[in-house]
Amino acid sequence: MKLTVGREALLKPLQAVIGVVERRQTMPILANVLLVAKNGEVAVTATDLEVELVAVAEVQVHTAGEVTVPGRKLLDICRALPDNAEISISQSGEKLSVKSGRSKFSLTTLPAAEFPTIDDINAGQSISVSQGTLGRLLEKTHFSMAQQDVRYYLNGLLLETSGTSLRTVATDGHRLALCEAELGKKMPDQQVIVPRKGVLELQRLMGGEGELKVELGSNHVRIQLEGIRFTSKLIDGRFPEYERVIPQDTKNALTADRGLFRAALQRTAILSNEKYRGIRLMIRENAMTLQAHNPEQEEAEEELEIQYTGEEIEIGFNVNYLLDALGAIESEEITLSLVDGNSSCLLRKPGKDDCKYVVMPMRL
Amino acid sequence: MTRERRILHVDMDAFYASVEQRDNPSLRGKPVVVGGDTRGVVAAASYEARVFGIRSAMPMRDALRRCPNLNRVPPRMSHYQAVSNEVFAVFREFTPLVEGLSLDEAFLDVTESLQLFGDDVTIAREIKNRIRERTQLTASVGVASNKLVAKIASDLEKPDGLVVVTQDNMRATLDPLPVQVIPGIGKETLARLKRIPVNTVEDLRLASDRDLEPIFGKFTRRTRDRASGIDDRPVLSSRPDKSISAEETFDKDLGDRRDMHRHLLQLAERTAGRLRAKDLVAGTVQIKIRQADFTTCTRQRALRPPGNGTETIYQAAIKLLDEWLAEFPGIPVRLLGVGGCELARDAQPDLFAPELPAGGSQLDQAVDRIRNRFGDLSLGRARSMDPGQIR
Repeated sequence: MKLTVGREALLKPLQAVIGVVERRQTMPILANVLLVAKNGEVAVTATDLEVELVAVAEVQVHTAGEVTVPGRKLLDICRALPDNAEISISQSGEKLSVKSGRSKFSLTTLPAAEFPTIDDINAGQSISVSQGTLGRLLEKTHFSMAQQDVRYYLNGLLLETSGTSLRTVATDGHRLALCEAELGKKMPDQQVIVPRKGVLELQRLMGGEGELKVELGSNHVRIQLEGIRFTSKLIDGRFPEYERVIPQDTKNALTADRGLFRAALQRTAILSNEKYRGIRLMIRENAMTLQAHNPEQEEAEEELEIQYTGEEIEIGFNVNYLLDALGAIESEEITLSLVDGNSSCLLRKPGKDDCKYVVMPMRL
Repeated sequence: MTRERRILHVDMDAFYASVEQRDNPSLRGKPVVVGGDTRGVVAAASYEARVFGIRSAMPMRDALRRCPNLNRVPPRMSHYQAVSNEVFAVFREFTPLVEGLSLDEAFLDVTESLQLFGDDVTIAREIKNRIRERTQLTASVGVASNKLVAKIASDLEKPDGLVVVTQDNMRATLDPLPVQVIPGIGKETLARLKRIPVNTVEDLRLASDRDLEPIFGKFTRRTRDRASGIDDRPVLSSRPDKSISAEETFDKDLGDRRDMHRHLLQLAERTAGRLRAKDLVAGTVQIKIRQADFTTCTRQRALRPPGNGTETIYQAAIKLLDEWLAEFPGIPVRLLGVGGCELARDAQPDLFAPELPAGGSQLDQAVDRIRNRFGDLSLGRARSMDPGQIR
């Protein structure tokens, strides 16, 4: 393999894939990136066996070939070279030589054939969706994913096609976030769970415009972005029946100004217990009292004007869960629907059902 | 100058053993110890057993040698926890400043309660009365101006004692006591002090710096303060549990993995039951392994979400044990322990199982109720039983 490339052209794909190069890898080759040079481009692949990223850069290929080299070291070298430097890369024996100006580096390699790649994912369906739409679906739900939960199927995001809509759902068992987008095209119903790591990596890559192709296989999801191909294994498990925990009876619904509610929660939270983050809401006709106290016996209390004519309810929550939901809803006002002081509540934009946030109360 | 503090140290008399004697009249008046098997240690000894020189933490084998007619009772930790809750409820009727040291022992700062309830002696008597009325158990109370002296005082007239130490009788009370009543003086230090010779608290109070410094170093001053009955440590209420654990020393060292799993399940059941009794969940599960040669190590892993279910704790514990066994195969094990740490109140119900405590189950709750009534050995998972033990 022999190629020549400008510093910036090589930096971009390396930076795009470096997130999945494991620092504490179980297999030495996972610290490497796979370089495949042919037809005027080099494809850079990184994997942690769960998520695979392939990014492509245009280069001058003198001799086609493929090899793996330590990913972080190659990135650090490119980064440290001067702007607009010209880099020539060539393989000599078991080493990869990287030269630029008066700098010369010789990196160890491992054979490309040993690098684990995911080729065909046997996609059952392929969905066309705009980057903005998919980005929104992730952004509005990702924060509710569980982390290292023994219920491994919660450590990811549910991606679901249902009729003509694409839906994401995340839950850690304490709260749940759901967001859906109308794609206007009938799709086969399917549910897949994308692991947490894949979701966070995908979010890092998004931000552009244009259409994406989302391919769903039985074990993988693959998304083709501009110049980058994202592939993630799926979590093999059944996502809980989330519809069952979304409150349907909304007779005790209040409407509040989102900004004022959020600010009141943030102030009250200062004196909540740092560990449990518990906050008490006392809801009565057109008014809400927010209360928190901590082990030092300090107390905070706020009064908030709301629109409410339902039953008087006293309920406790982890304030972080309410703040996360209020941060994700995009409207001036929000609706908070309650059943009673022990049951989960539903937060959303008034009259809109495309984003739903369910929060389980706390015992205070 | 601030007002002198009034501190109570309340210590239940032979707590576990007394609870057993209370609940089972046939044990009353007899030597009783609470503890596990012949290789375990005495967790508590009744006063009748103490006559034979039996003390808590003594190996059960020694205890049996001293008193062959000893009545051994298996521990019922969650039951003692429940009785302890009743006792602590009495403390909190007099002051919010309660620092529990264990299930059966606490410091109370009643300085601010004197105006409400009368002087310190009145409060101490009333606490003893209420404990006796509600639990039929006796407590010994020490009253002093600090924790150090209160704790020493509570021990002077056990059982059912009440000793008040004031500035006027402090020296007369402390001076003649053996020097090891001062906390921090263990076997080694004691032997060195005897050589000086320092035998009583008075000797320690009057000893020269030149003699004490080689022994206590920078703690010389503090040690002398203690001997003079000076201690300004505050009573820290809401001292939360750092960890809850159960461990067992085996009659015969274990070499078989299945045997270890079986004991691990018993231990997980005890630890999880105690977590549930306290309405706590553990964010980390820890195991302790002591090899036949007494080398001891601990291993831990996070539990997400935090839980208190027997099966949850057990699964985490066997994963840890199996990892250890993979590293050290074939090593005989003398003791195993299972603990939960990073404890938190079980305050957040789950969306998908709102009626259950985190990780717990209806089965766990039913087992807890039966064990509370009939003892920790009354009911257990069949997998945790020794085939020879099932009758």
